[in-house]
Amino acid sequence: MAQRAVWLISREPGTPFCGTVRFSRRYPTVEKRAKVFNGASYVPIPEDGPFLKALLFELRLLDDDEDFIESRDSCSHINKTSVYGLLIGGGELWPVVAFLKNNMIYACVPLVEQTLSPHPPLISISGISQGFELLFGVQDFLSLSQKNDTELNTKLNQLPDLLLQACPFGTLLDANLQNSLDSINFASVTHSQKQPAWKVGTYKGKPQVSISITEKVKSMQYDKQDIADTWQVVGTVTCKCDLEGIMPNVTISLSLPTNGSPLQDILVHPCVTSLDSAILTSSSIDAMDDSAFSGPYKFPLTPPLESFNLCYYTSQVPVPPILGFYQMKEEEIQVKITVNLKLHESVKNNFEFCEAHIPFYNRGPITHVEYKVSFGQLEVFREKSSLVWIIGQKFPKSMEINLSGTVTFGAKSHEKQSFDEICIGGTAYLKLHFRILDYTLTGCYADQHSVQVFASGKPKISTHRKLISSDYYIWNSKAPAPVSYGSLLL
Amino acid sequence: MGPLSRETWAQRLGAFRASPSAFMAGPEGEDLGRDLLSELRSEKLSEQTKVSLLALSLEYPAQLWPDATAAEAAATSLLDTLVLLPPRPSALRRPLLLAATTALVAGDALGPTSEASRRLLPLLLGLASGRDLGRGFGPASEQRPLQATACECLRELESCKPGLLGGCLGLLRGLLGQEGPVQPLSLLLALALRNTLVIQARARARARLQGLLMAGDTPSGGDPWNWALAEEGDARLQPQAPSWPAAEEECGLAVLEPTPEEARELRAAVAQLLDTSYLLTPVAQAQLLWLLGWALRGLRGQTPVLFKPQLVRLLGTAQLTLLHAVLALKAAFGEALFTAQDEALLLRRLTVAAQHPALPLPAHLFHLHCLLSFPENWPLGPTGEEAAPLLLGPRLCRGLLPSLLHDPMALLARLHLLCLLCAEDEEKEEKGQDWSPRHYLEELLAGLRQRAALDGGPRASATLCFQASYLVVQGLATQPTVLTPLTHGLARLYRARPVLAPHFVDLLDRVGPELGEPLRVALRQEVVSRPGRDEALRWHLQILAEVADGNAQSATLGFLGAAAAHCTDWGLQQALLRVCRALLRAGVGGGLADLLQALARQWEDPDGRDHARLYYILLAHLAGPKLGVALGPSPAAPALASSLVAENQGFAAVLMVQEAPAPIRLSVGPHRAAGPGPVLQLHVEVLEPAYSLELRFRVEGQVYAPLGAVHVPCLCPGRPCSPLLLPLQPRRPAPTRLDVRALYTTPTGLTCHAHLPPLPVNFADLFLPFPQAPEGDKLGFFEELWDSCLPKGAESRLWCPLGPQGLEALVSRHLEPFVVVAQPPTSYHVAIRLPPDSRLLLRLEAAQEDGVPVALRTDDWAVLPLAGDYLRGLSAAV
Repeated sequence: MAQRAVWLISREPGTPFCGTVRFSRRYPTVEKRAKVFNGASYVPIPEDGPFLKALLFELRLLDDDEDFIESRDSCSHINKTSVYGLLIGGGELWPVVAFLKNNMIYACVPLVEQTLSPHPPLISISGISQGFELLFGVQDFLSLSQKNDTELNTKLNQLPDLLLQACPFGTLLDANLQNSLDSINFASVTHSQKQPAWKVGTYKGKPQVSISITEKVKSMQYDKQDIADTWQVVGTVTCKCDLEGIMPNVTISLSLPTNGSPLQDILVHPCVTSLDSAILTSSSIDAMDDSAFSGPYKFPLTPPLESFNLCYYTSQVPVPPILGFYQMKEEEIQVKITVNLKLHESVKNNFEFCEAHIPFYNRGPITHVEYKVSFGQLEVFREKSSLVWIIGQKFPKSMEINLSGTVTFGAKSHEKQSFDEICIGGTAYLKLHFRILDYTLTGCYADQHSVQVFASGKPKISTHRKLISSDYYIWNSKAPAPVSYGSLLL
Repeated sequence: MGPLSRETWAQRLGAFRASPSAFMAGPEGEDLGRDLLSELRSEKLSEQTKVSLLALSLEYPAQLWPDATAAEAAATSLLDTLVLLPPRPSALRRPLLLAATTALVAGDALGPTSEASRRLLPLLLGLASGRDLGRGFGPASEQRPLQATACECLRELESCKPGLLGGCLGLLRGLLGQEGPVQPLSLLLALALRNTLVIQARARARARLQGLLMAGDTPSGGDPWNWALAEEGDARLQPQAPSWPAAEEECGLAVLEPTPEEARELRAAVAQLLDTSYLLTPVAQAQLLWLLGWALRGLRGQTPVLFKPQLVRLLGTAQLTLLHAVLALKAAFGEALFTAQDEALLLRRLTVAAQHPALPLPAHLFHLHCLLSFPENWPLGPTGEEAAPLLLGPRLCRGLLPSLLHDPMALLARLHLLCLLCAEDEEKEEKGQDWSPRHYLEELLAGLRQRAALDGGPRASATLCFQASYLVVQGLATQPTVLTPLTHGLARLYRARPVLAPHFVDLLDRVGPELGEPLRVALRQEVVSRPGRDEALRWHLQILAEVADGNAQSATLGFLGAAAAHCTDWGLQQALLRVCRALLRAGVGGGLADLLQALARQWEDPDGRDHARLYYILLAHLAGPKLGVALGPSPAAPALASSLVAENQGFAAVLMVQEAPAPIRLSVGPHRAAGPGPVLQLHVEVLEPAYSLELRFRVEGQVYAPLGAVHVPCLCPGRPCSPLLLPLQPRRPAPTRLDVRALYTTPTGLTCHAHLPPLPVNFADLFLPFPQAPEGDKLGFFEELWDSCLPKGAESRLWCPLGPQGLEALVSRHLEPFVVVAQPPTSYHVAIRLPPDSRLLLRLEAAQEDGVPVALRTDDWAVLPLAGDYLRGLSAAV
């Protein structure tokens, strides 16, 4: 369950080492056990320099992609999880849990309590999930309200103290590092018997509960006979409960209107104390039918102090909010494009913003555009070879808008134009970006009466909703497009 | 060294962290550990700096205090520092406790005889119990965090010395029921309980569990430390969560037979831990479940039903660790805790988690791994291999199939699942639907190839394409419907982008013949049908060197002939020669000889020319098998990657001679006293077949003329070979030793050279009879010889001891051919010719019971001592 060492490495392409170790922490007592458990297959934790080099090589983050290197590029060298073996000093350091996120590499080496040759299956090593949780925790901490390098450095400087709190001997006590930071500050508060470990203090002040539902809708639209369009809603319910008492009990219910789309694949926060089996079993894997559980979705819980994600869900709404097609035809150095977008009548026609981004990959800069739009304005980014159609706050009464035009490109220069592996030849997409406030596509809502609080004082309850687009693609229907298996099952 | 400023320390710590080994090897290394301890008491340094010093000692105790004595001293010093802290709030107490614990454990100093251990343990237990330890241990506000820290220290000590806290179970339980901090105490109790159970099971000790669990709040008098139990445990560290396959034997709790009361008490303790588990952080809950799950597995009287109330809550969460812990319970208890319906539900939750858009990619991948290694109640397939669980039908998998838009790792993981589905699909009837998984797989691979074919695309996309192809071949090697389009697709990919040749060679080296054979043919056709003169030529030659064989000779040779003109630089020439080598190895003959001759004439580079000529000579002079071996990988160093080196070693193996341990045994047979000169009769035996054996002899001391070599065409083990005759030409009549070397060819075609043990040539081996004496006057003949020895020669008399057989037997065995006059059993006259031109005459007369007096004469005085030795040794040499 313990970790032997943890690293944070910032990725710096173009520098001699292509990265810098920003933080590392070793656990010698765990290392002691590793030596005994691993026996002849034991490989000691290397110093930062060799580790950095070996990890970046394995993750293909060194700037030497030019040549075929067997130990990295061989077809049989296959990684199907974020767990790697690093060749260091003649031995293989395994298992190294590592992933790259926002130019930062998070890595740790969990203790394996047996010999390492042959490698035991990952599922049987408790330290793997603990390692992931530690790295996710560090990642959450670093990314929380972080805006610039100075803030990042401040947070990195806090890490040694935080890990001393959250992971003093390599066995993780709390993946929520913010919690550990608070506990350092809360040290003077007297604790009583049933204080949960995930709640370091108690709230004092006006009781209030805030619930916000954010739905992201993604879509793949092809406008083709033999390929089905797909779309999916992913919801996140975020809560902040400012309530007095050590363990206030709260029940939050999410409701759907009569024609709402059932919530599926619900994952809840660990503070939820019990779950209805209907919530547990409603899943997108099953075929939809009318008998699907449609709420209300009740979540009894004991809230932590900080803001938390009460639950995530997915949903399959009957139609995508905006249905469109995109036709692009290549004619020598220019392309002809036609775009049609239609807002579904059931969707709230009041956007915070709505834009269609039309990138042209693997081509030269745009030299000339002739176009006609039925609505909104078109902006041309010549060097980036892309068009942005700004649709604005509302679709017109007809709910349908068009764009047609001809785009001419200059000569391709390799440095500037972005390379894309998907958009080869006629394969192209447009991507919609929009946001609608106080609205959810599923209809899901939490109102004041849906919140029960078993604590002193009547809390003020506020609720928020919004719908945003995410990965909303409309593919050129005149050329092949990448499809998922689901799109082929008409 | 005097006190250092904050900045100096910051620099020093920075230098240390950059490379601890380099720092410790430098001038400051030796003092660092000592300085650090003394600086902790300095009043000039801020607490923050001291915490950073302690942080260093937490990470690198082995470097700072490398042996047990130093570690013990360091721990003592750290404890002293702790005691001396003024009674106001301080950030140093927690790290000091952690550092003292770390120093003791990492330095192997923890034990009943260690003074520091004897101070630290009661201190930790006192803090953990929440006892008031006096003002020295900080203000009340610090008690709670210190209590938690003390528990963590104890947990670490128990992890490293399992059984140490075996005597504190009751105390810990009591604390958990009162006001103690829930999480640290729960984890500590769970670990101590588990370790106690396992150690008792291993030692087959009668469980005194109830006593341990019921012991009062405070340890009843004396030491609560169970060093004895810890010693038992110390022989082997306890895996806190043993890997599944190993767990069965690892725990072996079945041998424990707790009484009903003990079982009840144990159940109560576990229930107590589980009931408050929701107060723990998710990661700590997961640890608790792993510990308790494996603690109770197999223990009699314990049903896993205790865990049931927790499961629904755990299954609903998005936490990786909690789902993983549930899987661990599933593996530990199987059907006893999870019915078939539960198993199905767990699988569905896992399937959801493996693709839920709200979870990050590493979590998806790990869940997918768990899905394919799912601990089923009734597994069908072989254990240890990834496989789709029975309940995971195609419908459940639908969302888990790969698409081109996935990240490479996700794509490969999902592709693996798709291959498993296709393999199952094959077993069923083809269902006639357009988009079978196999069809989808083909489309996906085509997409990957299209991406890899992109000019200027990153190496990673090419690698991904080949990894995917390899995965598919691994999983679906028996399906021609998959392999045929794959082969054609790869050949097209090569046509589009020959620069990927190294990937093709790598793939060919790793896949079996199912794909390898047809892909070789396709690639060869691809290459030879497109003569190139540009950059691609290099890659074409690399491919051809891999795929060229006896087939399509004329096309291949035609291609090479055309290419030769464009091979203007050394690298290209060598690449072309590598193809020639491959063809030579494949036994291609006539056309190749012409090509090689042409190359030897045509090329200007002397190296290329020489190689071409060498290959031509090899081709013209070596028979097929020998040629194969000459060009094949060297058995001496098969691992070298450079083709040039490999090539040279191939030659070295054959064209040079290999030194080898001798598989040949040589011995001297019975003496043949006939003919004009002495001849050694040699017997040869071999342990393995040897061809064209040549034995070379060298005479030590040059007492004989140089000896000719002996040739044997073929020797096989167990097949007798007629004796080999080695004529000797002595320059002096003296014994000697022959140095023997063997040169032979092994069945694999290698020429070997071996040094055999030296062969002795004895004095008697040189004996020759005189030509037949005139009939009737043998005595006169002898007397004439006898007289002729003097005055030039020498005379002697000596006593020749006789064995029990007597004189007659002795003579007939050793001297028979040389007897001139015999009057058995009493008198013999013996005349021996010693080449080159010496004689030895013996008169054996008047034999007595135990010996015979011998009169001897020789015309060569140098022979006299040899003859004496010979005669005295006769009776011994039966």
